[in-house]
Amino acid sequence: MDKLERLLTLTATLLTTNRPLTAEELRDRIGGYPDSRASFRRAFERDKDDLREMGIPLETEEIFGVDPPAVGYRIRRDEYYLRDPGFEPDELTALRLAASLVRLDLSRGEEGLWKLGGVDDNTTHDGEALADLPSDPRLAPIFRAIADRAPVTFSYGDVGRTVDPYRLEFQRGRWYLTGFDHGRDDERNFRVDRIDGSVVVGSAGSFDLPRTNVAGSPAQPWQFGDGEPMTATVFVDQQQAPWAIQHLGESAVIERRDDGGVVVRLEVTNVAAFRSFVLTFLDHAEVLDPPELRADMVRWLEALCQS
Amino acid sequence: MPKLSGTDRVRRMLAIVPWVASRPDGAAIDELCDRFDLDRTQLVNDLATVSMVGVAPYTPDLMVEVVVEDDRVWVNLPIAFDKPLRLTPDEGFALLVAGSSLLSVPGADETGPLARALEKIASLLGVRPGDNVQIALGHAEDRTLSLLRDSIAAQRQVRLDYYSYGRDEHAVRVVEPDRLWAAGGQWYVAGYCHLAAAERIFRVDRVVGAVLLDSRFSGPGRSGRPERADGFDPGDEAPRIVLELAPNARWVLDQYPIEAAEELPDGRARVRLAVTAIAWLERLLLRLGPDARIVETDERVARVGSDAAKRILAVYRRPP
Repeated sequence: MDKLERLLTLTATLLTTNRPLTAEELRDRIGGYPDSRASFRRAFERDKDDLREMGIPLETEEIFGVDPPAVGYRIRRDEYYLRDPGFEPDELTALRLAASLVRLDLSRGEEGLWKLGGVDDNTTHDGEALADLPSDPRLAPIFRAIADRAPVTFSYGDVGRTVDPYRLEFQRGRWYLTGFDHGRDDERNFRVDRIDGSVVVGSAGSFDLPRTNVAGSPAQPWQFGDGEPMTATVFVDQQQAPWAIQHLGESAVIERRDDGGVVVRLEVTNVAAFRSFVLTFLDHAEVLDPPELRADMVRWLEALCQS
Repeated sequence: MPKLSGTDRVRRMLAIVPWVASRPDGAAIDELCDRFDLDRTQLVNDLATVSMVGVAPYTPDLMVEVVVEDDRVWVNLPIAFDKPLRLTPDEGFALLVAGSSLLSVPGADETGPLARALEKIASLLGVRPGDNVQIALGHAEDRTLSLLRDSIAAQRQVRLDYYSYGRDEHAVRVVEPDRLWAAGGQWYVAGYCHLAAAERIFRVDRVVGAVLLDSRFSGPGRSGRPERADGFDPGDEAPRIVLELAPNARWVLDQYPIEAAEELPDGRARVRLAVTAIAWLERLLLRLGPDARIVETDERVARVGSDAAKRILAVYRRPP
């Protein structure tokens, strides 16, 4: 029996049953499985993995009142079916156009579109993409955890973290996670590409998503650290001021000088990242305050003079 | 067309079957191929397979009915498969990211069809767009992006006051833009530059001033594709420098155009870089500090790092 046929038949059988079915019952109903018990088990395990990988909500339930105890399987219909989102035709068109203009290295968007009726010929865009976004294998589990209100556990900077994930954000070419860090008892930002290894998703419904409006306050590299927060002021000269303002936002400017230079204010928890940022301005910028950050910069530059 | 795996075929059939079944007049095979990105032979084979699917005891009323006639398909469903499988979080996420990206572009209609579609997807998944997922494709002034877009659409030249980061210098350039896009957190515009007399790529956030000119141009790309942003094209004559990097400076390997790299013990690495502009090397050495050791250099760039450090220190030492 063709694999497509077997998987579809298995899905249909599991969707239509009113009680969980054991592996043996499924073998009898579906046919097409190998006869030997060991080969059947292997094939059945593979099929279960395939269904789950496709996002089909296969449930495992204990069957009571049998001896020896047995496990049964089913797919609950209300879990399986796409709730009708009630898309208007113009909304679907806009969504298809967006999917063809923005490339994320996940093919999943296209599969999502199939479920919403496939790609209409009139809306595809054959030209070059408007935007390319990098992908990361940790994005999907983190997003799932946000949707499920499940904590995520991962290793970051050699420290194990458990975080209630609130937000995934794409800024300056990278993905960032913001959430409540249990160990620090505070909100923290993480660079997704700096997470070591995989992300383990905990149990759903563990927290409430705060309804915060965070727009316009993107996290900057010098805010990704566990250091004591410091408020730094930096002078940027007339030549580089426009770029600095654009990068940091008008709200960061605390003084405008007559010669066109500006003084900007930054909140710093990561000194190395702050130093790197100020040094990108070469001699067009100067750390004014606090004294310890100014002294750190001078020490750093003096060491470089020796080299 | 690449051969599809078993699960890919199942996924696609689980989407196609309810879509066709929902149309009393069936669907044209060609339209299905386009819509779901399948070749014709594969589609016809898979539809034949679907017609063998049903549930025990496999009486006709419990089988999927597929009729193919004159290049059209009709599907009649018994019980299962009458609605598509729910969106998985991965699929929903990919759609939200694509849609939010487009909405983040200046001038997007924030209450239009795309915004409404995203609200609906987000509510299916239990999240809020713009709050739980945020996308900023790049930092650039809305006004500049709009002006560049207008310039491309109307094929009118622009005059750009452009800061070349690699050379730490400003220049005014007349450019004929032909493409605007975002990558790696930045907006870029490509076009023929009269100053360079060649195609160039510019970073939009380095455009300090832009003016739309009345003069028109025809056709994009006069002299082929540009090679790199800021005209980065190391020739043979460019100085080379070899650095030994500490383990926590390995990001250089990902972020800089490395000509040669060699792994050393303890996570250190040795890299060779072509120096096309002094300011570029200054920033790299300043940022790396003690994490980089210069192993080989060229007399033209031998003192770049320490000279830059001295120049910046002078700023800190000037009298108030």
